[in-house]
Amino acid sequence: MNSLKLTQKPPGNVFTGSKGINLDSKGEKYLWSMGGALIIGLIMIAAFLLLILVNGLKTFYPGPVHRVTLTDNKVIAGEPFRREKISQDQTLETSRKDTCSARRTLYKTGNFDLYNKDFRWVDEQDIKQISEPKDIFYIERTEWGPFIGYIHELNLNHETFSFSWERLSQLKKEHKAAQARRNILEDLKKKEMGSINHELDNLRLSLKRVELDHGKDSARYKTTLDSFSAKRKKLEENYSEIADKIEILIKKDAEYSVVLKDISGIEKRVNISDIIRFYPANNLTLSQKAGIYISRWIEFLTAEPREANIEGGVMPAIFGTFAMTLLMVIIVAPLGVMASLFLKEYAKQGKLVSMVRVCVNNLAGVPSIVYGAFGLGFFAYCVGTTVDRIFFPEYLPNPVYGTGGILWAALTLALLTLPVVIVATEEALAAVPQSLREGSLACGASKWQTIKNIVLPNALPGIMTGLILAMARGAGEVAPLMLVGVVKLAPELPVDTIFPFIHPERSFMHLGFHIFDVGFQSRNAEAGKPMVFVTTLLLISLIGLMNAFAIHIRSRMKKKYSAGQ
Amino acid sequence: MEKNITSSPQSATPGRKKTTSRFVILADRLADRIITIGGILVIFVVLGIMVFLVKETYPLFVGGIETDTHNYSVTRPDSEILTMGLDDNKTMACILLKNGLVKIFHAKTGMPLCPPILSFKDKISSFGGSIDQNHIAFGFADGTVRTAQVEFESQVIALENLPQNLKKLDKRDSTDGLSVFSQIPGNQYRKVTFKIITQDPVKVSPSDNAIIALDYRVGGETEKRIQVFAAADKDQNIILSKIKSRVNLLTGKRRATVKTISLPKLPDNLKVHSVLLTEKADMAFVADKDGTVYRFNAHNFKSPFLAETTRLLSSDNQLTIIGFLAGEQSLVVGGTDSSLDIYFLTHNDTGKTLDGKSLVKARSYNIGRSPAIEFTPVQRGKSFAVARKNGEASVIHATSEKTLLDFSIGENIKSAGIALTPRVDGFLTICDNGNVILKEFLAPHPEITFSTLFKKVWYEGYPGPTYTWQSSAGSDDYEPKLSLIPLIFGSVKAAFYSLLFAVPIAILGAIYTSEFLGVKTKNIVKPTMELMASIPSVVLGFIAALILAPLVETWIAAVLVAFVVVPVFLVIGSLLWQLLPQHIALQLDGTPKIMLMALTVVAALFATENFGHLFEQLFFSGNFKAWVNHDIGDGRGLLFLMAMPFSMTFTSLFMSVYLRNFLAGLTSGFTQVQAAIFDIVKLLFIAIIASFISFGIAWIADTLGFDARNGILGSYVQRNTLVVGFAMGFAVIPIIYTIAEDALTAVPNHLRAASLGCGATPWQTAIWIIMPTAASGIFSAIMIGMGRAVGETMIVVMAAGNTPLLDWNIFNGLRALSATIAVELPEAVKEGTLYRVLFLAGLVLFAITFVINTIAELVRLKYRKQTAML
Repeated sequence: MNSLKLTQKPPGNVFTGSKGINLDSKGEKYLWSMGGALIIGLIMIAAFLLLILVNGLKTFYPGPVHRVTLTDNKVIAGEPFRREKISQDQTLETSRKDTCSARRTLYKTGNFDLYNKDFRWVDEQDIKQISEPKDIFYIERTEWGPFIGYIHELNLNHETFSFSWERLSQLKKEHKAAQARRNILEDLKKKEMGSINHELDNLRLSLKRVELDHGKDSARYKTTLDSFSAKRKKLEENYSEIADKIEILIKKDAEYSVVLKDISGIEKRVNISDIIRFYPANNLTLSQKAGIYISRWIEFLTAEPREANIEGGVMPAIFGTFAMTLLMVIIVAPLGVMASLFLKEYAKQGKLVSMVRVCVNNLAGVPSIVYGAFGLGFFAYCVGTTVDRIFFPEYLPNPVYGTGGILWAALTLALLTLPVVIVATEEALAAVPQSLREGSLACGASKWQTIKNIVLPNALPGIMTGLILAMARGAGEVAPLMLVGVVKLAPELPVDTIFPFIHPERSFMHLGFHIFDVGFQSRNAEAGKPMVFVTTLLLISLIGLMNAFAIHIRSRMKKKYSAGQ
Repeated sequence: MEKNITSSPQSATPGRKKTTSRFVILADRLADRIITIGGILVIFVVLGIMVFLVKETYPLFVGGIETDTHNYSVTRPDSEILTMGLDDNKTMACILLKNGLVKIFHAKTGMPLCPPILSFKDKISSFGGSIDQNHIAFGFADGTVRTAQVEFESQVIALENLPQNLKKLDKRDSTDGLSVFSQIPGNQYRKVTFKIITQDPVKVSPSDNAIIALDYRVGGETEKRIQVFAAADKDQNIILSKIKSRVNLLTGKRRATVKTISLPKLPDNLKVHSVLLTEKADMAFVADKDGTVYRFNAHNFKSPFLAETTRLLSSDNQLTIIGFLAGEQSLVVGGTDSSLDIYFLTHNDTGKTLDGKSLVKARSYNIGRSPAIEFTPVQRGKSFAVARKNGEASVIHATSEKTLLDFSIGENIKSAGIALTPRVDGFLTICDNGNVILKEFLAPHPEITFSTLFKKVWYEGYPGPTYTWQSSAGSDDYEPKLSLIPLIFGSVKAAFYSLLFAVPIAILGAIYTSEFLGVKTKNIVKPTMELMASIPSVVLGFIAALILAPLVETWIAAVLVAFVVVPVFLVIGSLLWQLLPQHIALQLDGTPKIMLMALTVVAALFATENFGHLFEQLFFSGNFKAWVNHDIGDGRGLLFLMAMPFSMTFTSLFMSVYLRNFLAGLTSGFTQVQAAIFDIVKLLFIAIIASFISFGIAWIADTLGFDARNGILGSYVQRNTLVVGFAMGFAVIPIIYTIAEDALTAVPNHLRAASLGCGATPWQTAIWIIMPTAASGIFSAIMIGMGRAVGETMIVVMAAGNTPLLDWNIFNGLRALSATIAVELPEAVKEGTLYRVLFLAGLVLFAITFVINTIAELVRLKYRKQTAML
């Protein structure tokens, strides 16, 4: 209708009142719908970030524990987790049509070993009374999730005391000692026994290698076999020594235990060494709460996951994400820079190069899962099996490089981000003024000298921006990793103290996959949710940080050039 | 630098060397080579992805490849061949003859081996056995039946245990007369021996008539075995007989109970061609020589009944072959008219049959154009082999109709018997003249052709041809169904609905940002929107599936009403804004205006919660989920809502075209506020008229039987396309927004200045000057967004429910190409069929996104040239 107006008469002027006011010409309604669209976009991102931020930050804060007496005189205890309005269908289902504004609360009741569930919905109209008893403890354990209830008795070194507040400090002391014992135990189990197992494996494999190379009847095989049996005997002795030590420690652990009682009086004995953290949930000062909050964060960032990843820390995942991204950048940086140098500085600028450029641009839009499939088919199955056949015949039929691993994952993501890096680097190279090149060449520098000393240093911020953006994208990609080596629980890190220290064939954990795994494959989605939120917060802040850094570099570069030109 | 200058030839400084140092030249050349070669290599590697994908998928489309042929003669069979067998490794072949003799020979050379001797007193009159030919039965002239167990026993033995004095057969095999020893990798030998164990005769025919047709099936475990026969005797009596035997755990003796019943009498002129039994023996088929098939339902063994009588051949033709394929749901039928058809037993309640099932012709094969005379199915899978009267022989996969092997034995040489290896890689035929041909061939992916991937295929157990993706299931007889169409559809559906949501927000937002926002606000708004792009999709998927999906399910009515309430609130907001006097409006322009808009949107969102219930009552009979499930209500409410935007547009267009002069006269001399009030009245008027029109349309459409619930809406599933579309919006909006905004900003400023200078308002400038100029840039933005939406993986893996369906219902799930690759590829057997099909899915995805992106890129480049010229 506006086009009609435009062709038939000049658009109505708003300011002259002579012909009246035509509000259509201002299109205020359309302006508002455009603005509304923008606002919806902004609200989406704000709400999303707020959701992640609030849920991620509040997860580790110790909340109060309620003792809830229900109308049928049953008593439950739990941390209030979430409240929600019951929608209409749900009220219809429970045949309570009258209460449109009914609410219900999700209580984290813990004690999975006793109740077979962690969470319980309680309708608010079923609640008779809520209290916050001071002596309820929230006890985090290595197994079965948290325990919520009272501490009834202490069994310390064959002596039994019933628990009272005076005993708390004693319990804390014992807890520290028990934790120290647990650390020693873990060390023994993991490091010492692990290294013995590893050596045994190595011996067996080198024996097999000799067998494959020289045959079973060769003299070399016989000598190797002899030394193998001798070494194995020694290792086995060591092993049983350590096993004895472990047994002693475990026995000692069993002498220090507490008897816990849940809200309905069911007793449960727990070794003190199996307790990670305990606190009287309703009897904490603010500083104590902050202490627990910080200690949980520290555990999250530095410890290994427990209980099918839904508790404990994500250190291996952080490490895996970091190592994989770093490896990817190390691979992608020289390749990307080389390709774009070729395209921009060396290749003849013609139809072919612009076609290649269009192709490279397009590859940036090819779905990541396609790269994943390529990585699995080409790197792991094609290249990997060949490497195995040539270098690791003694491992067969178990694959070494012939399956997903951190190297293949990094290579796949390097391919995935290569177009991004090429495009960014080319732009950075194009942004270097031609006059600089000409000046350098005119001074007699060779082409390579010009590139090395003039072009690259000037384009560096742009290249860095591209690399950091590539890193941010690489760190957030999960789909291709699912095909090329990410696992829910990696027993060993890709870098450790066992020779040759770096193990690029190992599978690894990844923050993004951790989110997928905990959110979708754990026994209880509700119990996993807080963990997912915290992991998400971590991942998003990591990526946000990288992006912010890239933007910062970009803006600095812009300033530099606008000043220079 | 300094050194370069001094050493450069142009240097004018006297007394210095004027040659370039060799090192510099060397470095330059080296860099030149490395960068050129490296650069080309990198680009080739990146482009090589496509080549690799093609290479991985290519074997899917290759038919069978003949690798070797062995041609030799054996002593001419002196009696009719009952059955033939060929072991898994193509080492040994056996022939059972009607005169009770067994012949075995080395399959590759024809060297006869020492056969086991069967001692049958009576003359064999018929023969039958299971599909795998491990359990066979002979029918005799005296009305008895003897069963036997046949096996090519295969043992791996070490070199040390190899017997001495073996006779060399060929490069690989040698024999001791009884067994064949083949060398296999790892210094080991495989010993293949033919074994046949016969059991005592069982009397089946009550009147001691000769049994002329027989089929035999075995079920149960070894301790509790059930053997079932279906037999036809000389007098055309059809007998069903069941032997239950049980091993006594203490004594180890087998005790058997025999139950025999006669099936209902068939017409007297019946000439039995063959009798067939299904695996569980719940169905027996009797085929007449003229092609009529009588199907008995023996589900209740005590009272079988004739369920169906149907003629499978056209008149005047005789049946040549009939038999089951593995799985026993497809019947292969060949006639003298050269037809070769497959019939499915489908659930098809037409009332013509007594048990609701019927035989339906599913496929015909017309290769060879000569009647099939020999037929053998493969033990696993759906392949079968036929030999034809004119001497042609072929191996065909039933479902894909792919020819795996096709050759001529010789002009008009009749085949007397054929055999297939269980792995479908060897085919053996013996001719009347004693000539034997063994064909070795490779058919790694018999079940895949272009048609099975992209066209409708009729699978066993389905009522008709369908597009189905079902890559795995529990049972052994299961046939994988790998149609890519549902997956492509899923990807397109997800992309379509997410774009439906994302495009308006992104494009409208981009126009507003570029044309109506101040520089300062823009510098905050644009990076914020771009921030959305850096959210990892796994996070979006998690939020969508675990937070959003339950929320949307609970508040579905409120969510839907938001699509109505938010625009209405914005319009109301704009009407109120117009009421503001000019000078105040000008003062508030910019950031305060945006804030007001934000307030309006937030208010609208809050209002939706309360409107939700009312909305449900008004349009969806009070309960949306029940309504959408067809439980309650009619389609009028939704039709009304859908008609509303159109009737609004129509009414306002009508008014502006026909009543323009009238309205102009009416409003002349109005002040700003008066005009604004008039605008409100006008809009109300339009809304009322439009409601009437919409109601009329809805009523008419409903009477005509239109109901949106059969198309874009349907029963509600928690993880659905609405949720996916919303989550995908996060991934797509920032991309479209950024590119579109860049395109709009790139429109040269002098165009704006000229338009505004001519007296156009900013709105008119934006919509009639800027938009058309930037249209191709905006188009390219949408295309790139679409490319991203098609390939997005984690969101669809987590939030789409992964059901491979073919319907547009927005409340149902979907299964996208990308999600299927992510979920199934890690478990697919390397270089197996599923593995290759998934790579093909990757290739399809690659091709789709590549085409979309190329279009976008070309449009963008053209646009760039265009704007450069302005």
